[in-house]
Amino acid sequence: MLQFMANGLCKGSVYALVATGFGLIYTTSRVFHLAHGAVYTLAGYALFCSITFLHLPLFISAGLALLVAAVAGALIEVIVYRPLDRKQASSAVVMISSLGVYILLVNLMTMFLGNETRILHSGAEPTVTFANVILTRVQLAQIAVSALFVTAYWFFLRKNSLGRLCRAVADDSVLASVLGANVEATRLVVFVVGSSLAGVGAVLVALDVGVEPNKGFPIVLGAAVACIIGGLHRFIAPALGGILLGLVQGLVVWRTSDKWESLVTFAVLICFLLFRPQGLLGMRQRAEER
Amino acid sequence: MNYVFHIFTIISLYVILGLSLNLTVGYGGMLSLCHAAFYGMGAYASALLMVNAGWPFLPSFAIAVIVVGMLAYLISIPSVRFHGDFFVLATLGFQIIIFSILYNWVTVTKGPYGIADIPRPRLWGLSIASTPAFFVLSLVVTLGVWGLTRRLVKSPYGRTLEAVRDDELAALALGKDVIHFKRSAFCIAGSLAAAAGVLFASYARSIDPTSFTLDESVFILCVVIIGGAGNMKGPIIGAVILVSLPELLRLVPMPDAVAANMRQGIYGLLLVLLMRFRPQGIAGKYASD
Amino acid sequence: MEIDSLNKRFGGVVALDDVTLDFPAGVVTAIIGPNGAGKTTLFNVIAGFLKPDSGSVALLPDSDTDGSGRRFDIIGLPPNLIALRGVGVLFQDIRIFKRLSGLENVAVGAKNQPGEKPLNCLFQPARVMAREKEVIEKARQYLDYVGLADKAHLWAEQLSYGQQKLVAIARLLAGDAKVLLLDEPTSGVDPDMVGKLLALIQRLADTDGRAVIIIEHNLNVVKRVGDWVYLMAGGCIEVFGKPEEVLRDSTLREMFPTL
Repeated sequence: MLQFMANGLCKGSVYALVATGFGLIYTTSRVFHLAHGAVYTLAGYALFCSITFLHLPLFISAGLALLVAAVAGALIEVIVYRPLDRKQASSAVVMISSLGVYILLVNLMTMFLGNETRILHSGAEPTVTFANVILTRVQLAQIAVSALFVTAYWFFLRKNSLGRLCRAVADDSVLASVLGANVEATRLVVFVVGSSLAGVGAVLVALDVGVEPNKGFPIVLGAAVACIIGGLHRFIAPALGGILLGLVQGLVVWRTSDKWESLVTFAVLICFLLFRPQGLLGMRQRAEER
Repeated sequence: MNYVFHIFTIISLYVILGLSLNLTVGYGGMLSLCHAAFYGMGAYASALLMVNAGWPFLPSFAIAVIVVGMLAYLISIPSVRFHGDFFVLATLGFQIIIFSILYNWVTVTKGPYGIADIPRPRLWGLSIASTPAFFVLSLVVTLGVWGLTRRLVKSPYGRTLEAVRDDELAALALGKDVIHFKRSAFCIAGSLAAAAGVLFASYARSIDPTSFTLDESVFILCVVIIGGAGNMKGPIIGAVILVSLPELLRLVPMPDAVAANMRQGIYGLLLVLLMRFRPQGIAGKYASD
Repeated sequence: MEIDSLNKRFGGVVALDDVTLDFPAGVVTAIIGPNGAGKTTLFNVIAGFLKPDSGSVALLPDSDTDGSGRRFDIIGLPPNLIALRGVGVLFQDIRIFKRLSGLENVAVGAKNQPGEKPLNCLFQPARVMAREKEVIEKARQYLDYVGLADKAHLWAEQLSYGQQKLVAIARLLAGDAKVLLLDEPTSGVDPDMVGKLLALIQRLADTDGRAVIIIEHNLNVVKRVGDWVYLMAGGCIEVFGKPEEVLRDSTLREMFPTL
């Protein structure tokens, strides 16, 4: 069982990264950023292309992938969401746009890079063993790097005025702008940060199992579920939700088989929506806030 | 010639699916991503009845529609309380859960293999076996669905449903049972989608879960959004466009795999452009969304 | 309607502090006060969007459409059931149904529409159509009364703020409420229409015998149409009395020095 839980922890670490970004974007800009999945996939492919075609070393390629993710996220915000926000479009319109962006980008990538999974290197990976659990180096990296980035993110937002700014914009963007906050700039920064975090996750997964065009959607859905499970009221909550989700999925696979994984994931989502929509770390919302 | 009837039949199926989803999305203001699940459940319910229990077409049709309607009601009980993004997430969850059941509950649904040898309908002694004949049946059902939705939409029910969509709080303050409206719209939409499913099962003669994925739900949503939500013409236009588009693309020389992606990519692009410049879709009447 | 000892806190803020009010039928009662006085909280409690920490909001025999003649406490009921008991509210931000026409907006306000049940639409078309004819006819009349008969078929979104407010008022009338709670009914309305509106408010109370409650910032409106006035501040009732008395009161003069 520990093996499955460990694998789940690795998966959860990736969810934590993507969910943190997704959650930050959602709380600050109220955009249900399904295209986050496309940004994630883009970063993975950027890494792949950089290593395979440009023959750049790993860390530079990873940095490039993060840059691509950040830029992609920023562009999507500026080109797609910002005009909609200015028009005060409803959240349904925004979500459909986001879906459209996801579909467009993923299909573009598939047209150019094909449908098959591309792996970054073949051959066996060196592993580490402790307490009956075997993990590859990359998997360990998933846990470590994720923890590093999430903690850095958390510190950055707590100690920085940006964090307060995000909160202010999230609570009441009109009031925030009246009080001098540059709402659009804040949103842009939020998209850049959130997308970069997704990029980190993509790099970690690409190094592990390779890149594949359709993995983005399940990941972003998992991130959304993680945000519900963990909650959205604290910066750190989606990350914890992500880890928990990974662990639960590990448990399910251990107990049954991986074919029931998605069913359980979404059954958990439904349960949380029903009984604890504010998430594990959330506060009860006031009725009028809906 | 058979090919033309085939296309028309497919279009009519998507008209039914579009009109029904339109009730939830366009008139009810609830973005639902589990419509393919209802479509699939209708198909599987009637297929199981006809293949395993040997039931004739009409009773299978009726039972499938009723059963899926009840399931839709059950699903709506928790979901309808949520707003906006949470509702979508809930329907997404149900779509994935139901697909997972169809795909993995091998003892009943035969999993990825699906159900085969579904008979074409025999109605009052007439065998509706050929494609043109089936198209007539499909057309009749489509007209029925159109008539039903039109009646609902033009009635006080439709008007108050739209009011609930526009401002739930104000509708509550006027004494309207908002939950009832949302739930009934969702339920009726689900039943009608099941009707399309029954038709599909008898038409295709074999079904498997891959026809009823989340992608399919997204496609049906595209039919409604691109055609124009919130009015009766939109889903019809959307169905015609979205079903014909791949056929037209076939005329352009392009490797098959790329063609599929190009088509999907176009849907994505259309969604983005429409939401930005014409959220009411092609046939929609409102200036805003 | 009688309100007894309402209390409501939000965290550390006391929004309502032992508030007791009386809204008799046939009378226009005005509630005035600076921002943050608790007027909006009071509105939300009466309409059913907020539950107070303690206290009661009761409908009495005169205004209880139930006709049972007993005191009926509406605390804890959802807003739609409160509305069905005969309480109608006009929101400060109007909340018009944007994508419905003016006529449809008013028609939605009507209660007891069998056509709102899908089964009735399909199986009892005659009954549905009969009631619908009545509803539409009355809706036209109400729209005509507020002077918007020619705008009946425009989408509400295309109307000006003042026109939307009038449609909302017509919508409220269509519901035939016995207790009317109007949040700033005259703000944004054309000056020539204001007179007509105030006359309507007066009639609703005097002639129809309804209990009309208005929340107002415009003290002239209060002077013209209010029978009784409550001044709220900081969650409490500071002053109560006839408009002339209250408007001369020193507390009020401190708050509204420009008077």
